[in-house]
Amino acid sequence: MTSFTRPRGRRHLRAAAAAGLAFALGLTACSTGDGGLDQNISDDEQIVIGAEQEPDCADWIATCAANIWGSYTMRIPTLPRAFESRKTDGSWELVPSDLLTGEPRVAIAEDGKQTITYRINPEARWSDGEPITGEDFVYTGLQIRDGDDIFDKSGYSQIESIDAPNERTAVVTLKTSTGSWKKLFSGDYSVLPSHILKSEDRAEMMKDGYDFSGGPWKIESWVKGVSVTLVPNDNYWGEKPKLKKVTFQFITDTAAAFLALKSGQVQALYPTPQLDAMSQIKAGVPNTNIDVDTDSGNLEALWINNAAFPFDSLAVRQAFAHSIDRPAIVERLYGQIGVEQVQQSFLTPLNGIYAREDFSRYTRDLEKVEELMTDDGWRRNDEGIWEKNGKPAEFRITTQSGNQRRELAEQILQKQAGEAGFSMKIANVAGADLFSSVAPKGDFEVGLWTIIDTVPEPDLGSSFRSDAIPGDDNGFSGINFTRASIPGADGLLNTVARTTDDKERITKSHAAEKLIAEAVPGIPIDTVPNIVMTSSKVKGPVEVNPAEGPFWNLEEWTLD
Amino acid sequence: MITYALRRLAYSIPVILIASFLLFWAVRRAFDPLSKLRLNQDPTAIARETERLGLDKPIPEQYLLWFKDFVTGDWGTSTRTGRDVLDMIAGAAGPTIQLIFWGVLLGAVIAIAVGTYSAVKQYSAADYVFTGVSYIGIALPAFWFGLLLIQIFGVWPVQIWNLAEPPLYFVGLHSVGHSDFGDYLRHLALPVVTMTITLVASWSRYGRASMLDSLTSDYVRTARAKGVPKRQVVINHALRNSLAPFVTVVFLDAGILLGGLVVTEQIFSIPGMGKLLLDSLLAGDAQLLLPWMMLVAITIVVFNLLADLSYAYLDPRVKLS
Repeated sequence: MTSFTRPRGRRHLRAAAAAGLAFALGLTACSTGDGGLDQNISDDEQIVIGAEQEPDCADWIATCAANIWGSYTMRIPTLPRAFESRKTDGSWELVPSDLLTGEPRVAIAEDGKQTITYRINPEARWSDGEPITGEDFVYTGLQIRDGDDIFDKSGYSQIESIDAPNERTAVVTLKTSTGSWKKLFSGDYSVLPSHILKSEDRAEMMKDGYDFSGGPWKIESWVKGVSVTLVPNDNYWGEKPKLKKVTFQFITDTAAAFLALKSGQVQALYPTPQLDAMSQIKAGVPNTNIDVDTDSGNLEALWINNAAFPFDSLAVRQAFAHSIDRPAIVERLYGQIGVEQVQQSFLTPLNGIYAREDFSRYTRDLEKVEELMTDDGWRRNDEGIWEKNGKPAEFRITTQSGNQRRELAEQILQKQAGEAGFSMKIANVAGADLFSSVAPKGDFEVGLWTIIDTVPEPDLGSSFRSDAIPGDDNGFSGINFTRASIPGADGLLNTVARTTDDKERITKSHAAEKLIAEAVPGIPIDTVPNIVMTSSKVKGPVEVNPAEGPFWNLEEWTLD
Repeated sequence: MITYALRRLAYSIPVILIASFLLFWAVRRAFDPLSKLRLNQDPTAIARETERLGLDKPIPEQYLLWFKDFVTGDWGTSTRTGRDVLDMIAGAAGPTIQLIFWGVLLGAVIAIAVGTYSAVKQYSAADYVFTGVSYIGIALPAFWFGLLLIQIFGVWPVQIWNLAEPPLYFVGLHSVGHSDFGDYLRHLALPVVTMTITLVASWSRYGRASMLDSLTSDYVRTARAKGVPKRQVVINHALRNSLAPFVTVVFLDAGILLGGLVVTEQIFSIPGMGKLLLDSLLAGDAQLLLPWMMLVAITIVVFNLLADLSYAYLDPRVKLS
């Protein structure tokens, strides 16, 4: 009988299959180690931490380095800063790090120029043994001030000159007096090694990770999309790490991250308090210590476009503030992890010393809403919505689509506003568009997003000074998205930004907060709590630093 | 065969060209390549990048410039990471190709076995069971099934038997300090099963239908009438001839998988093409999205071509037509 057997074809098929197998095995061989524990080190000397985001690059002063997980996983453990955020007497402040011998000397000249003299710790050195010098300050400051594609030049654009009169001294001269001078070489930035980078392309050398260090840890590897591994820097002059290896494994799916913790594949997590994460915490995670801390640098607020109808009226903004039951929102969002405290200031708890509780006056009071709206000439229409000159009080609320917690907050707000006579529509946008287009162009009426303080230095001016309203004057780079121009506030906020007298800064900040609360350019809702979860094997001290994250003291961590 | 292949290749070129323009136009409309610079305090940043990327030129001109760079391998720099886009995509393609290879291999073997058995034992209890399971498999959401597998094979054994480590891992494709094949398989098992379940579910239905066609054909009846044993008829004649449409479907699906494993890669923390797409979409990284989409489009076209060629190879009548 006829057969359809094709001997040659079968050889081809076998050859193709073998080639495919060889290709896949080849790819397998090319894969690098990317997670789990290293069997060459004992289990009580290494730890794997689940990281929910991967940094985009490690060139910390460039725009690609805005991701906070970059600071947690690499920058803070490996690079020295002039000041560190520490809690003293119950409040957070910037204190000199062990890079310096003590508090720098600050002087204001008669012409208003400010000089800061940093004395560098004689023991401070890079991982290659070279001393950390004034030249490193000069290099770092000028790279930020004069470089292209810099993430944030705030403060550094005020630098007139930086000198290194001797190896262990750096002198910075600012064009004007600057209150937040401690942010220089601190906070979002660290000191970079001049002797390594000066003659090189900094971005090229650093963006994929680097092998130098001036901190307790060194980067052993950064496998893109997979993990960052740190090992101790043997030349660190301060307290040396007790663990031999720390691996940050990127697990972006929250459910998978929790399962990895339960199965022992990771020993610590620092999850964003999204609804699914909080549900899992409430359900319980065996053999795990969970710390929930509201002492954070992250608050969520409603940002009202003061230039858009109907919020171009102060009475409407105040009435809207009285429409909202903020405790009910906080309870619904965070009640399952025991957080109930409403945020009453636009300054986060990290800057609590500069904050007041002026927004506490805005409690839900529908009678007050009636009074304010009626006095302002509004009447309810047939649908019960406030109306003035034939225009109903309709507006959109906008946030980043896909953020479940904020979408839930919007739904609660929509119901509460509706009961008070406001018609609120949810109109969310992609995260990439929110701050690049929607907010700068003012294409919103109410926005819901967070403000993050990364250092204990008050910065209300960026959000509420009138010259920070995005427009042609500042190339739409200002971030006063509310378009609020509050009489008297600019002067106070400028003083807070410029004076070096801490007492005066606190007084003026309190005064500005009072004016802001009266003008209601927005409404703070809640502090986003920090949650750190560690396996019971981890013997910290585990404590979240709201500025530097949960791994700021990783060198002190040990394991059972 | 060569003429046929060249003709099909020629048909593919205009498809890719049209797809490239449509993708370019859609990405330019949907994403702002300068979004990350909008809040930059450097007033020259926007103008500098606009000129560098040619964004001040008309769309057709921008497209021609971009296409020329794309063809010559200059895929630009990611606005999200500052890294070379070609390097990023090449790095992400490796893990995804591994998943596709093992998933398709496993899926095809199981689907052929199940499809053949179901066809030979048509309307038997096993056939009904396989049919029911297939429908469930097609309907299973990958994210749910993946997490279920993790719970069963990754978490419960540790919690119930107090193991130091789970029998199957579910984070990445390797452990730190490991490059052995055993560790690789322990990482690979769950993601491959997650993606395979849907493939097996749909492919086994194709296999069954194709096999039924073969089993009812004249040459099978003739062979049986001549006394050839049933097993020999099924394996040597019916199965071989039922493979042509089956292989076509496998090629078509395999081409789509390059960009279609977003959920699987996300759940199992595998830095592949799907995860790269997700990260780039969230960051609005237009510089990366364009080449990514083009590569996936080209892959789909190429696998369509391979499907046609394989059909022609397995069924000589196609060449004559």
